[in-house]
Amino acid sequence: MEHQSLTQTAGVIHARRSHGVSPTARAWLFLSPSMLFLGVLIAASLLVLRMSVGTKGAEWTGFSLASYAQLLEPYYLKSLLLTLRLALISAAIAVVLAIPVAYTMSRLTSPFLRRIFLAAVLLPLLVNLLLQSYGWLVILGPGGMLNQTLMGLGLIKRPIMLLYNQNGVLMGLVQTAFPLAVLPIASAMRGVARTYEEAAATLGASRFQVFRQVVLPMSLPGIITGATLVFAYNASSFVVPLLLGGRRVPMLAVMVHDQIAPLMNWPAASAAGVVLIVTTLAIMTLSEYITGRRRRLLEASQ
Amino acid sequence: MSVLSKKRMALLPGDTGKFAGILSGFILLLAVLPILTMIVMSFSGASNLDFPPSSYSLQWYKAAWHTFVAPDASDVLSLGQAMATSLLVSCLTMIFATLIAVPAAYALTRCEFRGKAVALQLMSLPLVFPMVVLGLALLLVFDSLPFHLTTSRLVIAHVILALPFVVKNCTAAMLSIGSEVEEAARMLGASPLRAIVDVVVPLMKSGILAGMLLAFIVSFNEFTVTYFLYTIDVMTVPIWMYSRTVSSLDPTVFSFAVLIVLIDFVLIWALEKLVGEGGVSF
Repeated sequence: MEHQSLTQTAGVIHARRSHGVSPTARAWLFLSPSMLFLGVLIAASLLVLRMSVGTKGAEWTGFSLASYAQLLEPYYLKSLLLTLRLALISAAIAVVLAIPVAYTMSRLTSPFLRRIFLAAVLLPLLVNLLLQSYGWLVILGPGGMLNQTLMGLGLIKRPIMLLYNQNGVLMGLVQTAFPLAVLPIASAMRGVARTYEEAAATLGASRFQVFRQVVLPMSLPGIITGATLVFAYNASSFVVPLLLGGRRVPMLAVMVHDQIAPLMNWPAASAAGVVLIVTTLAIMTLSEYITGRRRRLLEASQ
Repeated sequence: MSVLSKKRMALLPGDTGKFAGILSGFILLLAVLPILTMIVMSFSGASNLDFPPSSYSLQWYKAAWHTFVAPDASDVLSLGQAMATSLLVSCLTMIFATLIAVPAAYALTRCEFRGKAVALQLMSLPLVFPMVVLGLALLLVFDSLPFHLTTSRLVIAHVILALPFVVKNCTAAMLSIGSEVEEAARMLGASPLRAIVDVVVPLMKSGILAGMLLAFIVSFNEFTVTYFLYTIDVMTVPIWMYSRTVSSLDPTVFSFAVLIVLIDFVLIWALEKLVGEGGVSF
């Protein structure tokens, strides 16, 4: 009883100390420093949007949709399709490769092995993409590791060209975005309680059946999130196509930079940038919608 | 009971099969292959990029050291200067990102308020925002300012990029504390601010440190956005390396790269130790 009254007093003191500031105002006050930085990001994106309908030479005053019309020319349209295709294929490959890794990670019991696995997953994500691309140059070069291996196996007679074409870029895209697929899938799989697996096994399911019919469907939201992240990340990939594709694999992000650096065509760069933002946001929203709907269905069925 | 369930679990096929284990080990090896290749190449005794190298030596390390102590006249900027810029930018990014992320994480975990969903969405926006567009957009903003920013524009860009990582780690740390501790402190007479600074923040130390380390790593390795924003006299190590190899690949770069990978690996290892396995939040 006395304890209760003490709490009440504390509550009153607290209310007086915060000078009747509403919780919403207080929360936004705490958030304001971060919002300042995020505000820069948003303001900057709005500037890009404005710039994309400007005209070259009169970026801030002119208005025309010429830059968007230019994106429909065959060269740019091909680049857009190439970007979407490479992002899609790389997302599919990365997810397929990530599923066994994520499953193993979520079921590892040895702390040391878990740390090694996590480090191996984090390295490709965190180490400078430039350095990893240098590694790829060595692997894919004419006298490089992959060609040597293939020739050693007798699969090819002469070194094949892997650099400066789509194959090399695709390999680089899969490898650098791979962790973005593993992490959400592993966390979804960690959330699948072992009791489900045990129940399935008790009912006579084989190891593979347990995995395919219990673990995989239950971690589907994680898989979708992983695929989305890889797609979005690779759709705007810059370093990998720049270094491994030379100028022969003109993905959209490289074109954005080319429009500025040699061409100084700010509206064209901005229009390509807007297309990138819209693509990314659309795919993220779609994935959010799908996973949200699935989660609601799962909750309803339980 | 627990012994029984443990025994049962070992017999059940829910355990990771050997096959899955070996397969994932192999896939992970492929994932770090470019980094491993680079490490091997840095010890090459040959002067071409054939793999495996025909002989091994420390020649590239010697050449790299020479570049470091006696910069070529052809280099616009020495590696030492680039290194200093990189460290300065990374440290400032780490400090600012943490200072702004801790109060944000507090608001996101402890307060119910209008617009919380929007705030959460905004916080993860830099993770999915196309980096090239961020670089382009920031370049537009900074170029239209009436004054010139050099190092600070890199710091602003890096703070934006690192913010989601720091906020997520701080949020996870704060969620694990529970609000009783803070209420107890307040009941004992601490002001709300003091309860946060003296009680909550020390308790979430490991989460904050993890966020700081991630912010440092993100900033130290950033290339794309920096590539849009650097100026000729303020460049970071990745930009310096790129400008050196833009025409042809020079194996001394591999020695520098090994150094950077080593730093990254130590930081990642420390990060995992700090927050425990599975504790790093993305």
